[in-house]
Amino acid sequence: MRKWSLKYIDWRLTTAYPEGWKYALKHPIIFSKDLWKYLAWCQMIDNDIK
Amino acid sequence: MLNTKIKNILFKSPIILASGTFGYGYEGKDLLDMDKIGAIITKSLTLKPRSGNPHSRIHESSSGMLNSIGLSNVGVHDFCNNKLSHLDKIDTNIIISIAGSQIQDYIDILTILEKKEGGHIGYEINVSCPNVNKGGMEFGVNADIVYQLTSALRALTDKLIIIKLTPNVTNIEKIALSAEKGGADAISAVNTFLGMAIDYKTGKVSLSTKFGGVSGPAIKPLAIAKVHKIYNEVKIPIIGMGGISSFSDIIEFLRAGSSLIQIGTLNYRDPSLANKLYNDLRIFLKDNNINDINNLVGKYNEE
Repeated sequence: MRKWSLKYIDWRLTTAYPEGWKYALKHPIIFSKDLWKYLAWCQMIDNDIK
Repeated sequence: MLNTKIKNILFKSPIILASGTFGYGYEGKDLLDMDKIGAIITKSLTLKPRSGNPHSRIHESSSGMLNSIGLSNVGVHDFCNNKLSHLDKIDTNIIISIAGSQIQDYIDILTILEKKEGGHIGYEINVSCPNVNKGGMEFGVNADIVYQLTSALRALTDKLIIIKLTPNVTNIEKIALSAEKGGADAISAVNTFLGMAIDYKTGKVSLSTKFGGVSGPAIKPLAIAKVHKIYNEVKIPIIGMGGISSFSDIIEFLRAGSSLIQIGTLNYRDPSLANKLYNDLRIFLKDNNINDINNLVGKYNEE
């Protein structure tokens, strides 16, 4: 089962954006688009490595 | 069965979490059973804090990822004051990744970390950084500079020195030999391949820096070739990486010559993946009566 934690998600946002979660809050459209792309990528990776 | 060693350091698993994919080490510690993790490599540290490159710095690509994070990190002083103590509580080996823009930066960072006497077992030296004294050319593309850097750091510590090589060179084995000659204890191979992506509709480049590093399953055969070329030349252990997503990938890297492996991009998909791969690897070894994973290193045939 896949596990995630808030600390890890927070760090991932810091990786993706110069100001981390603050950037995501300030730019909700960009964040939504990026999240959508990320979710599609997860699905693609899952299919690729099956 | 799954233990391995670099010098006198025991790794209870050949699986290491790659730098830049698991924070500073403690952010994901509750997601994994650390008995199944050989080591965690921290995010690369620079002398001063860096906010990294502007958005967009990650681009999802076919079977992989293109990134140009730009060494976003808190800097070595903040790391020592606020993060190092957390790492001592994690029940696995900690390796600190170091990056710089001139040789003196690496020396200064390592000196600061050595004074702190943390529980970390070594350093992974990220040589895929632009060298300001050589017009921005990466340290890792020049064998003489890799030798100078490695020998300078070797003189400062008895902890492990692991040189993480860039694959974006013509002759990676020559660079690996320089690291070995300079006193490195191991080679990490390989960092990301140079890449670029463009939106076919708008013509806009996908990363703010235009170029970035490609990682993930897409680069696995390229990475394995690099690992094998290095294995044919050096005597020190190789830590292989590049798109590992299954236990069979791990075995492929071991057979190519890696003694240990790193999981990187796939942590972005599933930060608990390393434990699953450990379990799968153990089952494979048991089913095939392989008592020691080290027996697989470099074992391949050409028939």
